[in-house]
Amino acid sequence: MKNLFAAAAIATVGLGFGSAAMAQEDCGEISMAEFNWASGELLAAVDKIILEEGYGCDVELVVGGTAPIFASMNEKGTPDIAGEQWVNAVRQLVDQAIDEGRLFAVNTAPITGLGEGWWVPPYTLEANPELKTALDIIERPDLFPWAEDPSKGAIVGCPAGWGCQFVMNNLFQAYDMEAKGWVLVDPGSAAGLDGSIAKANERGENWLGYYWSPTSIIGKYNLQPVPFGVEYAGDENWNGCISLETCIDPAKTSWIKSEVFTIVTDEFMQRGGPINEYLAARVYPGSVMGEMLVYMSEEQADGEDAAYEFLSRFENVWTQWVSPEVAAKVKASL
Amino acid sequence: MNWLTEFPEMSRTDLRDLKKGGDEAFKAFSRAYGEALENFFFPLLKFLKWFEDLLVATPWPIMMIIIALLVWAGSRSLPMVAGTVISMLLIGYLGMWEDTMFTLALISVATLICIVVGIPFGILMSKSDRTQAVVTPILDIMQTIPPFVYLIPILLLLGIGRVPGLIAVIIFAIPPVVRLTNLGIRLVDKDVLEAADSFGASPWQKMRTVQLPLALPNIFAGVNQTIMMALSMVVTASLIGVTGLGQEVLVALNNQYLSLGFMNGLAIVAIAIVFDRVSQKYGKRLQKHSEVVHG
Repeated sequence: MKNLFAAAAIATVGLGFGSAAMAQEDCGEISMAEFNWASGELLAAVDKIILEEGYGCDVELVVGGTAPIFASMNEKGTPDIAGEQWVNAVRQLVDQAIDEGRLFAVNTAPITGLGEGWWVPPYTLEANPELKTALDIIERPDLFPWAEDPSKGAIVGCPAGWGCQFVMNNLFQAYDMEAKGWVLVDPGSAAGLDGSIAKANERGENWLGYYWSPTSIIGKYNLQPVPFGVEYAGDENWNGCISLETCIDPAKTSWIKSEVFTIVTDEFMQRGGPINEYLAARVYPGSVMGEMLVYMSEEQADGEDAAYEFLSRFENVWTQWVSPEVAAKVKASL
Repeated sequence: MNWLTEFPEMSRTDLRDLKKGGDEAFKAFSRAYGEALENFFFPLLKFLKWFEDLLVATPWPIMMIIIALLVWAGSRSLPMVAGTVISMLLIGYLGMWEDTMFTLALISVATLICIVVGIPFGILMSKSDRTQAVVTPILDIMQTIPPFVYLIPILLLLGIGRVPGLIAVIIFAIPPVVRLTNLGIRLVDKDVLEAADSFGASPWQKMRTVQLPLALPNIFAGVNQTIMMALSMVVTASLIGVTGLGQEVLVALNNQYLSLGFMNGLAIVAIAIVFDRVSQKYGKRLQKHSEVVHG
């Protein structure tokens, strides 16, 4: 305990002398969350390399899922940084912690273009440039014939038993798709959903359905998100109807925005200095993240392998996140 | 001594290229022939859908009478009929009628195809030792390979839905009927065959009027096994988008819905018991009529 207080005191004193200079030379120990999915692993591994090589930190990774990592940061103040914290699942707690000053969101969009929704292959849009939004697509069931009854259009939904199944059912109803000649197809499982995407894309067939990003399959087939062409109709409609099993009168809406934050603890906000600036500037374009996830799944690479690949393949991306001196140091280490 | 402690394995890149090569070759096959295959199976899909719609659209009391009559025709046992009607009533009361009809349709069509394809194969096997030597290992593979393995190529070729599910069920369920048809014909008494020969029966006459009838009890045991195996594939088939009781079991598994899981699981069990007892009793009656004494 004594040491901890001492360390905190030194950190506070250090602040007085200008945190930038301090952290540059002697960044100290940082514990960082490594989320247990592909993009989470990559993000943590890249942060670790840049912070260790560029800023001289000593980074320890803590592996976990969304809820346990968040609970640990919120209640025990450790780890210091969570790179890819998905917010929707723990929304109330995150809002509360940020309001009360225990946690800070230093970056509210570390990966662009992420989220759930409807996706189509790129060649579908190329061949039918008039399909600008979901509203346009809904008028053309003939472009997405259902294998079991080609007179109807198929939209592949969420596997039975997943939370998003209700959302798909209710959106199907809200957009009045049955009357327009559509069928909501249940793929049965994640493997079924992935398989139907792979089959359609390998054969150049049109495909419309549910998925989420960042994922390797989105990156692999370059699937395009479908804008709904309708505003988000509010949390009351979403939480009180669309996402429930029984929803009598769902209103048309776009998919709720998925938010991912990079979160740091209050203590780290005080002592992090330039590292917080780095975390704020560190934004992966969705396409880059997609390409990296494809690399990871095809090469069966772990986060660290993929991080080195990213640093060499996308120099133009990450060098914009840091100062030229830091960039030079990281490059020298590769 | 490195080579002793470490297995001389293929280099990582070669291994990856091997896997990738296999995948690419199959995808190329799927691009070239997938659509033709889908068209080939389209009549089957039409038939399955028609049969499903028929079962679902038939008013439940009529359906119940038909089921009771079928059970009576097969088993000639009143307790069997009563047990079946009670379990079907319970299934309906617990809200699983429609899913049960979907599953019944799938199982019936799968069994029908297994019989139509499997019995001729069994006959061919019984005719030639060479055919038997080739087909037996294939049947071994079909029975032991984990179904998830062939779900992947089926998905890539045919996508999700009823037909790919049906094909997965057939691959898993067809071996017993082929094996037992072969066995049944081979077990027919040589003296009987000699007698048929001495009457100047052609090979086709011999097969149709002597061998097949005498092999019927064995063939029927094979059909019984095939039905049981088809039912055990219901949940796996639901993984690639087949509707029915299996799908509800998956929902239960995904959400830890204990009661839902057991209800649908027990409905599958009930169907299995009915099919099993009825086909066994029917098989026994066949044996009695043909008056074959085994052993």
